[in-house]
Amino acid sequence: MKIPIIMPQLGESIAEATINSFLVKPGDTVAVDQDLVEVETNKATMTVASPCSGRIAEFSAKLNESYAVGAVLGHIEVSAEDAARLGLDTPAPAKAPTENGDAHSHQEKSHSTSKKGVQPTIRGLPVPANAAGASYMSPRMKARMAELGLQSADLAGIAGSGAAGRVTIQDFEKFISNLEQQKLTPASSMRVAVADAMRRSWTRPLATVALPVRFDAMLAHRKTSNPKPGPALYAIRALAIALAENSAPAGRLVGNKIVHPSSIDIGFAVEAEDGVLVPVITSADKLTLSQLVPRYDELVELARQRKLPLNATGASVATVTNFGTFGLTWATPIPLPEQTLVLGMGAARPVPGWDEAKKQFVPVMEGNLTLSFDHRVLDGGAAGRLLARVSQLLNAPAGL
Amino acid sequence: MIQTASKPQVGDDIASFRDNYLRAFRIMLLARAADDKFASLYRAGKIHGGVFLGRGQEAVSVSIGVALRKGDVFAPLIRDTAGRIAFNEPLLDMARTYLGSPLGPMRARDGNIHRGRPKDGQLPMISHLGAMIAVVNGILFARRLKGITNTVGVTCIGDGGTSTGAFHEALNQAAVEKLPLVLVIADNQYAYSTPTSRQFACKSLADRPAAYGVPVHVVDGTDLGACLKTLSKAVEQARAGHGPQVVVANLLRLCGHGEHDPANYIDEQLKNSPLGGDCIRLAEEKILQQHLANAGELMSWRNEAAQQIEEVVATVQREPAPDPFDEKWNALATEELVEGHETSD
Amino acid sequence: MFSAISEKSVAGCLTYLEAIREAQFRALTDDPRVFIYGQDIGNFGGAFKATKNLAAEFPGRVIDSPISEDAMVGLAVGAAIEGMRPIIEMQFADFSTVGFNQIVNQAATLFWRTNIPCPITIRLPCGGTSGSGPFHSQMLETIYAHYPGIVVMTPATVEDAYSMLLAAVAIDDPVIFCEHKLLYYHLKADKLPSEALPIGKARIAREGRDMTIVTYSAMVHEALAAADELASEGSEVEVVDLRTVKPLDTDTVMASVARTGRLLCVGEAWPWGGVTAEIIARVTSEGFGLLDAPPQRLNAKDTPVPSHPNLWAAHRPTARSIAAAARNVLRQ
Repeated sequence: MKIPIIMPQLGESIAEATINSFLVKPGDTVAVDQDLVEVETNKATMTVASPCSGRIAEFSAKLNESYAVGAVLGHIEVSAEDAARLGLDTPAPAKAPTENGDAHSHQEKSHSTSKKGVQPTIRGLPVPANAAGASYMSPRMKARMAELGLQSADLAGIAGSGAAGRVTIQDFEKFISNLEQQKLTPASSMRVAVADAMRRSWTRPLATVALPVRFDAMLAHRKTSNPKPGPALYAIRALAIALAENSAPAGRLVGNKIVHPSSIDIGFAVEAEDGVLVPVITSADKLTLSQLVPRYDELVELARQRKLPLNATGASVATVTNFGTFGLTWATPIPLPEQTLVLGMGAARPVPGWDEAKKQFVPVMEGNLTLSFDHRVLDGGAAGRLLARVSQLLNAPAGL
Repeated sequence: MIQTASKPQVGDDIASFRDNYLRAFRIMLLARAADDKFASLYRAGKIHGGVFLGRGQEAVSVSIGVALRKGDVFAPLIRDTAGRIAFNEPLLDMARTYLGSPLGPMRARDGNIHRGRPKDGQLPMISHLGAMIAVVNGILFARRLKGITNTVGVTCIGDGGTSTGAFHEALNQAAVEKLPLVLVIADNQYAYSTPTSRQFACKSLADRPAAYGVPVHVVDGTDLGACLKTLSKAVEQARAGHGPQVVVANLLRLCGHGEHDPANYIDEQLKNSPLGGDCIRLAEEKILQQHLANAGELMSWRNEAAQQIEEVVATVQREPAPDPFDEKWNALATEELVEGHETSD
Repeated sequence: MFSAISEKSVAGCLTYLEAIREAQFRALTDDPRVFIYGQDIGNFGGAFKATKNLAAEFPGRVIDSPISEDAMVGLAVGAAIEGMRPIIEMQFADFSTVGFNQIVNQAATLFWRTNIPCPITIRLPCGGTSGSGPFHSQMLETIYAHYPGIVVMTPATVEDAYSMLLAAVAIDDPVIFCEHKLLYYHLKADKLPSEALPIGKARIAREGRDMTIVTYSAMVHEALAAADELASEGSEVEVVDLRTVKPLDTDTVMASVARTGRLLCVGEAWPWGGVTAEIIARVTSEGFGLLDAPPQRLNAKDTPVPSHPNLWAAHRPTARSIAAAARNVLRQ
């Protein structure tokens, strides 16, 4: 008699799989555990094996279609004993189409395909179990927050009195009216814009690696240059050259695609009033350090005056920030929301460095280079290699 | 009390009915021409909804309209084209309702035989058979409260409709209230496909009115002369204050239940019996026999009737279809109480 | 106690039923087009005495009908076509379904089909009383409200019983007037009102800031009793009395939910569809952003109305069950 071939449980949290190929065809005789169908899940390629020996009756599943775990993929003709052993000796519900119409008209459920309640659709949305819990926001909450321009980050400080500790609209309105009793100063539009950018950027998993770097060569080069390039400009050039060699670390991840940069435009952070501006040097890989100096200086000045022209702001593939100017030795800056990388330079200090040739410690100027990055796009290895290359370039400043 | 009208014999002097008879006859021709025209429009796919003919019933129907006066009330049912015309329903109303013109009395909101002008005493039926009888009762009841007593109300029903609870309640109510109602039962032997043997167990529908204390008048529905006499008498009795009257007319339905129905279930024997006679053909024979008109006149009357219907239909076919954006989508007379909370739009 | 009503000791000399009789007296006096038609309403004065003495005072205008709800309503429609303003008394709402066809297919469609208004008023004694059982207890406002062309009124107070019945007779459309039998003799007021809210406007029966209960008819009193209980626990519940369920005063309901953010709808009718479902549908689709918690409803159990008082008391919402449901909503 015929029993169904069922999509098996393929792994924890796998709900469905796509048919890659049929390894046998209707009419073939198969042995128990023989592979019948190859399927692909989002983790791996697997096979569906025969539950017992028999003859393939038909496949109802189609190539390249997805089927849920438990779905009937076809039927196999087996002996009555085998069917009884599997507990499938009552006729299965006539789900699979047969060539000449099944004579069975009764619809008894077989044990293995008995369903508990309503089955969800294969590609439907997951159903939330409960509209409660500390992070539940009622429609009214959301409407008020939208009206006041608030994000959940703004409400982090409210303790909720509702079910499971959620914030009720009364808690919210009390919070807002309490705020109004404290000293309030308007946040500048710059502050609000930076807040929004940082909040958006933070929705990604960010990580930071650091590399101690010797700045002696760079500092010496700078001393003898006229005009003097800003320290950040050295880092901009080094990064630009490194990215021109390999632009993948500066790519962006959108869905399942990596968007490669079309031009190595690098921004650099300038503190301005209540926030940070990021003027951009376009095609930083195409001009030398000395060629870039006037442009850089001009941009710094314009930024400080909040007079940056439109073509000097906007998209860039990475930002350089010289937090060393504040005396900081390390930091974990946050890349702009549309960027994957931000390269940081910490303050250089005289420290003992081992001189292999002289077999003794000599004073060297050392500081940290940090790379904060969107960990969805690159991992520690790639980050480290990029920093190493930047360090290498900084130590041969004549080539920048 | 049962009063049966005697069946007029060939040779009876109907010349005294001459004017009424010829007028009634010509209305029957008009009704038949109208029915034929709408049947053919139906087959041509030009009608939205069903078409219901009165073929075979014209004699009893026209007799109702002839017997009534202006100021009376008439609630026709589905096979009463002749009666409606005789009671002065404009032909345009019929054409406009069948063709769905918004200029008709129902403004395209209801169709085919669900039409009427209550202010002119002609009530538009609803589809639930038997429901109109109590409404006529209500009009007569209200008139009596207002001191108006010399008007009559007539409504028709078929053999099938007499099985409904509404029929029973309303006939009983009319009898208890002694209202001047004439209830005309046209027993055409079939209710859709259901023969009368499956509709009632009494020997004849004429047995029923006595149970309500109501007099019955039985008539051969194929005989125009007899119908005219009987309806006139029943209406006169009601108008004189003798309470409700029931008329039972025996005939055969000479068409399907609607034009969608080929009616193959009708018993051939009935078709070939006197019951199956066509009242128009029989009246024609009588007219020729009694020299009330000649064959040429009959032919020209037929042509005139057909011509009149053609003109009316042609006029209406030029009228525009209803525009849903012109419609006022509310059902209350009191505008302030209309809600605006439909989900669609 | 089985009901909040019998707990009330309102000092007053006019009952809800008497107010209905007064309204009919006034209608018959003021308008010669009005007459009343129903079973046992003539010399007997009606099963509930709603027409006591009216037949004698208005000879020929308060008429006994046979047991024929279909023909009663059909007659009313005919009379309306003829310019009268009939009032039909159904002995119990439960029997109106025998005349259902004439109400929803004849009366409710007349104006739409013919442009002739149908000013009939059909009085339905509705709702359960202790021991009344499945066929003397029904709340039928839902099935009539569903059909276009009908106005459905559900007065909860003595004053509204009076003024809304007068309004019903004056309205040019078919009105289903749902009188609640439990309120007939137990609800009293001092005097007849001299003014009233317009038809179609709901009344705030009790103000509150913590949640809104929307209800109608006898349940208004149960809800008010529940609100008192909750007040002693520190929660202030706003109770909205709909007065008419069709048209339904969505604006007042929405404004109340705007104030409180939480909604419980209570009705004595059955759960499927109905007034409580309609309100929640409107509030969620038009006022979703007003809700701080999922809206809830409380109706009778989904069975016919049982007769034994123990069972009846559990079948319909009571002050106790309304308070429990309200606490649930407040706790969210």
